[in-house]
Amino acid sequence: MKKEMKKEKKGSFLDVLSDDYKGKKLGIWIGFIISILNIVMFLPFIKWVGIVNADALYSKIRTSSANIEILRSGYNAFDLLHFVQYSGFGAIGLPAMLLLLFAVATLYFQIANVVKVLRNSKGRKGNLALYSAGEGAMGFEVALTLSMIAYVAFSNARFEMKGFSLSPVVIIALIISFVGLVAVKIPQSKERAFYHDNGLLKEIRKNWVLFLMLVPTFFYFLINNYLPMAGIYYAFTNFNFRDGLWASPFVGFANFEYLVKAQLWMLTRNTVLYNIVFIFLGNALQIIFAIFVSQVAVKWYKKTTQTLMFMPYFVSYVILKVIVYNIFEYQYGVINTFVVALGGNRIDFYNTPSYWPFLITFFAIWKGIGYGMVVYLATIMGIDAELYDAAKVDGANVFQQIRFITLPQLKPTFIILLLYALGGIMKGQFELFYQMVGNNGVLYNVTDILDTYVYRVAMTQPTSIGLGTAAGLYQSVFGFILIVGTNWIVKRRNEEYALF
Amino acid sequence: MTIRKGPSQIIFNIVSYTLLALMSIICVIPFVMILSGSFTDNHTILTEGYSLLPRDFSVEAYKTVFKAPEDILQAYKMTFFYTGLGTFLGLIMITLTAYVISRKEFKYRNTVSFIIYFTSIFGGGTIPWYLMYSQVLNAKGTTFAIWFPALMSPFLVILMRTFIMGSVPDAITESAKIDGAGHVTIFLRIVMPVLGPGLATIGLFLALGYWNDWYRSSMFSTDSSTWELQFYLYDLLNASTAIKQMSQNSSISTAELPTQSVKLAMAVVSTGPVLLFYPFVQKYFVSGITVGAVKG
Amino acid sequence: MKNGKKLLALLLAGSMTLSLAACGSSASTESDKASTDTAATETATTDEAAAEDTASTGLDTSERVDLVFYVMGDAPADETVVEDALNEKLLERLNATIDFQFSTWTDFQQKYSLELTSGGADLIYIANWLNFKQLAKDGAFLELNDLLDNYGQGLKELCGDDMLNACSVNGEIYAVPACWPEYVSSGIKYREDLRAAYDLPVPDSLENVEAYLSGIKENLPNQGLLTSTTEESTGLQVAFDAAWLLNLKYASVTTNGLPYGLNALYETPSDVYDYWFSDDFVEDCKLMKKWADMGFWSRSALSDTNDSEAFTNGLCVMEPQGQNPSKYITSVSTFADAGQGWEAAYLAYGEVNGVIYPGHATQNGTAVVRGSKNPERAIAVLEALMTDAELNKLVQCGIEGTHYTINDEGFYESITDESGSAPFGYENFNTWNLRNTEYKLISKNDALLQDIFNRYTTLGEKTKFPNVDIYSGFAEDFSEYDAERTAVSNVMRQYLAPLQAGLVADVDAAVEEFRTKATEAGLEKVREGFKAQWIAYCDEYGYK
Repeated sequence: MKKEMKKEKKGSFLDVLSDDYKGKKLGIWIGFIISILNIVMFLPFIKWVGIVNADALYSKIRTSSANIEILRSGYNAFDLLHFVQYSGFGAIGLPAMLLLLFAVATLYFQIANVVKVLRNSKGRKGNLALYSAGEGAMGFEVALTLSMIAYVAFSNARFEMKGFSLSPVVIIALIISFVGLVAVKIPQSKERAFYHDNGLLKEIRKNWVLFLMLVPTFFYFLINNYLPMAGIYYAFTNFNFRDGLWASPFVGFANFEYLVKAQLWMLTRNTVLYNIVFIFLGNALQIIFAIFVSQVAVKWYKKTTQTLMFMPYFVSYVILKVIVYNIFEYQYGVINTFVVALGGNRIDFYNTPSYWPFLITFFAIWKGIGYGMVVYLATIMGIDAELYDAAKVDGANVFQQIRFITLPQLKPTFIILLLYALGGIMKGQFELFYQMVGNNGVLYNVTDILDTYVYRVAMTQPTSIGLGTAAGLYQSVFGFILIVGTNWIVKRRNEEYALF
Repeated sequence: MTIRKGPSQIIFNIVSYTLLALMSIICVIPFVMILSGSFTDNHTILTEGYSLLPRDFSVEAYKTVFKAPEDILQAYKMTFFYTGLGTFLGLIMITLTAYVISRKEFKYRNTVSFIIYFTSIFGGGTIPWYLMYSQVLNAKGTTFAIWFPALMSPFLVILMRTFIMGSVPDAITESAKIDGAGHVTIFLRIVMPVLGPGLATIGLFLALGYWNDWYRSSMFSTDSSTWELQFYLYDLLNASTAIKQMSQNSSISTAELPTQSVKLAMAVVSTGPVLLFYPFVQKYFVSGITVGAVKG
Repeated sequence: MKNGKKLLALLLAGSMTLSLAACGSSASTESDKASTDTAATETATTDEAAAEDTASTGLDTSERVDLVFYVMGDAPADETVVEDALNEKLLERLNATIDFQFSTWTDFQQKYSLELTSGGADLIYIANWLNFKQLAKDGAFLELNDLLDNYGQGLKELCGDDMLNACSVNGEIYAVPACWPEYVSSGIKYREDLRAAYDLPVPDSLENVEAYLSGIKENLPNQGLLTSTTEESTGLQVAFDAAWLLNLKYASVTTNGLPYGLNALYETPSDVYDYWFSDDFVEDCKLMKKWADMGFWSRSALSDTNDSEAFTNGLCVMEPQGQNPSKYITSVSTFADAGQGWEAAYLAYGEVNGVIYPGHATQNGTAVVRGSKNPERAIAVLEALMTDAELNKLVQCGIEGTHYTINDEGFYESITDESGSAPFGYENFNTWNLRNTEYKLISKNDALLQDIFNRYTTLGEKTKFPNVDIYSGFAEDFSEYDAERTAVSNVMRQYLAPLQAGLVADVDAAVEEFRTKATEAGLEKVREGFKAQWIAYCDEYGYK
């Protein structure tokens, strides 16, 4: 089928791609078959990269002779990093890592394409979903193979010799995927025209104003976030100054070892539980007080209470720590002085872990209440006043107004804030915990969170860059899985409330 | 408000006024302690602890803070500059972005939202970020490196999107579109006028972020004339901690270290202006806006 | 379909990230490669060129070079005035200028390593508290052997081979140390007036410390005694500040002994023994508990927030942690200024246990950053700054007559403006690394300090390794066991700190628990790794 298509160059034949064959367009079937071929080429024993001039190559890298044996055999699409790891040659590590991620994504798209075609999942707009799947699969394969070619060239350039060779498999995959891409695109454009669904270019032409509005944002996030994201790679290297940031030896998951060695379960539990309490209790109180403030009729009272509740936001933790110590100290602390005056026994706060979850929660919520309240207050102020007027006419009392107007109107804001906070559930408020507890190891079982632990580790190993990055990656992946899952559930119920 | 006060309203008022008063007191006490501490003799604070009223009244701490008034004024000036410029530009960019991703007809709104949100979960850490500004953009020592990195945040964009979706019903923009209004018109004539509370919130958060920042000065300033106010003060505090850390390394002539009361005075000096500024923003949180007015 | 679209969006974003990251990173990889390569080739070529140069003309100064000198702390008010004065002379002599860049004290450790990573500076301040040896091992600094031979003969003469060797790792010199011997011996700072008033013993043994503190408590029940916390004890030797007092009992090879609960006596450095599992340890913990129960420190001590102001303000009567002669001198003058009749006294642990030696060469030094484009000129400028009397005084003290004067007694006095602050105080560039004994201007306090140093020198001459800090030359490489090391450090925080602070109910049980936890954390592996390196080090330098 493929050969036929290649031989045939007339435009009329391309129309054949839009013909139906067993209930689907021919183009879809072509994409389907190429996806299967691609999956076969991903099989581990099929090598994408070979090693040539092996002895000359190994003279350039620092590795043991035992490792050299492992390195000789060549590589499939997924194990290029093995070479980086065993050779200790870090300069090609980052591209290899990106290729690995890329390859995994590509494999996913191939499988998704095959599965979708088999399940014949048609949507509201006919076959468009199938075309997107095919387009993604083919597009990714083309990009992957091109990157692979570039990678081999780059590696050879870094070693200043021809050490790596490209397997014909890569070229074949590139060619057939490109063909597949064309085969999918042609019927897709027809069907798109039919359903008035636009491709990216058309969409830009139509809504260019909207795209223009996004241009500054695009550059901002590119510079400030996406380009520096390459630093995630440091989590897998052992940095030294001689080789520099991008060429230090690749060490795999060694930097994560100390996390596993720590009481990871305890740290994760503490971090997550504290955050859950902060999120729910904090937001609940913020909503309650926002409603209170909004209902106050006396203007000066309204303004004053609102300002006063904002004040804790400005109290730095460094100073708060001293005040807190003054209050809870054993001998001279305010509370214990008071307790003794009443004839009670002194309370040993700083050696009794059980008090601290409450104290920390209290100060976290106390500090954020005014700041968090503003969002809800603004939302309440944005509610159409007509709604309340109508309710009053109907004789609704204040509780009913809150129950049936205010709270439902606050719901979207609450859900968005909640969803947003969930993504950071593994990231603790370092300052809060560090300043309140400091180095008091007695309290660690209930107060140690991932961030404080990582900080202490970094103190014992000041020159290591990988450790902190590794911990950050753990937090990110954890939050990411959680947020993508939650968002998916929320979106199924109500698309308006979803984050993305 | 004037219709009639039923018993439920009275109960509600009693509860809410009381709780508000209580909460306000809890919130303000530490601040009062800091304020009174800043006016107390340093030795008294250390030996007798904090109190609600200054015990050994002294303005020594403020004298120390304002010993070099031109430096602190310069820091104030720079902070006003960063805050003003950053908040202004940031607000524009955030609002535009939020508008775009709140439009139903924008096909890639979820993709764009995701791309923005993604940055709040994954980050490369300080080092590549620092290298980006210092080596790639060559911006070390410039003011650009101080105001630019905080222009936007995923949180504020998504918050703004919620405000826009909440205060501008689809029906209104749809009817405007049918009347032939373009995106610019819809944005300026329909969205902006009802976005008061949202703009005030985001603007406030942006401004607070700029006002409280010291980190970017610490990273990128090479000359003390570009320092942010918070950094100017924060660095004084850090000097004492740092010099203690190097305790093993002796014979380091230490400048006078800030005492406890000086630290408190610094806290007051750096937050005071914000507290004065807050009431101006507050009017957006005190009285509501009716969407109906726009409809007509 | 929804599902598929979302995934597509997700992966699109993902791939976008990847591709963005890819272009970003490949760009920086390239540039990085370029810079490391040029650095490498440059060193190579300079070495060759240098060899030729010295043979014929010496340093090539035909092109003007602007150098950056990265130092710690904050800039003085008159930074540019002094820099201009310096540059005028440097241009004339070496056709080079120097610009001091300051770390500021905020996050200085992080910024210090960032500076080394990004390679913006030429010369940089180094010190053992900035992890000099580890950084040198990781290649942050340029090897100086050839550079010094070719362009820094004056520096070699000034410092001497012993001092330079002390700054070397694996035979390569990485820094030029300051040349001003000083003693940073840890010790106890205490209130002498109270001791005299109540006729208490000098706290020169654990018994006398107890007698001193309980004596004050009897007479002044409300007086705070120790404001010990964990702040000075976050390393891997002790976990609570008051435990520093144990230096009165053990004559260890270094203050607080070896890390990981090991110890070795100064007399027999290579004879490493186990402290945490010994009976001595249990006994010491019991003593600490006794003291805690006697109320020597607060039961909330582990979270104590009292900082260095405590002693100055009379909140405590003794500081056994992190003190040194220079800090004592500061206290003396602070008390004199306060005029409340308070008096400070100082007792170095070495005066009791007989282990006393001057600070290690890596205490203060200067290195050339690996990325430096002009290492030859940097060394030449450094030599000028350190060995030229005029330049050295200028960089350390500013301009005579504008910034300082020499008074009738021959002491240095800084000149202050009307607000009372000095536009350029003593060593105001924080260049403690440029000290040169010969040109160092002496203030009145320095003279007092010198008296103490002279006394210690006499003591130090009697030790087994006269006036040598044998421990600080050791650079531990813990890459083989860093995960275990981290875990042990955590156990110390969690279990050793309350033990040494005497906050446990049953000492024996708590000791047992601590030992079990430490063993579980991998103590054995850490100790083996450390021991092997330490003994090899002792062998190498002949510390038997």
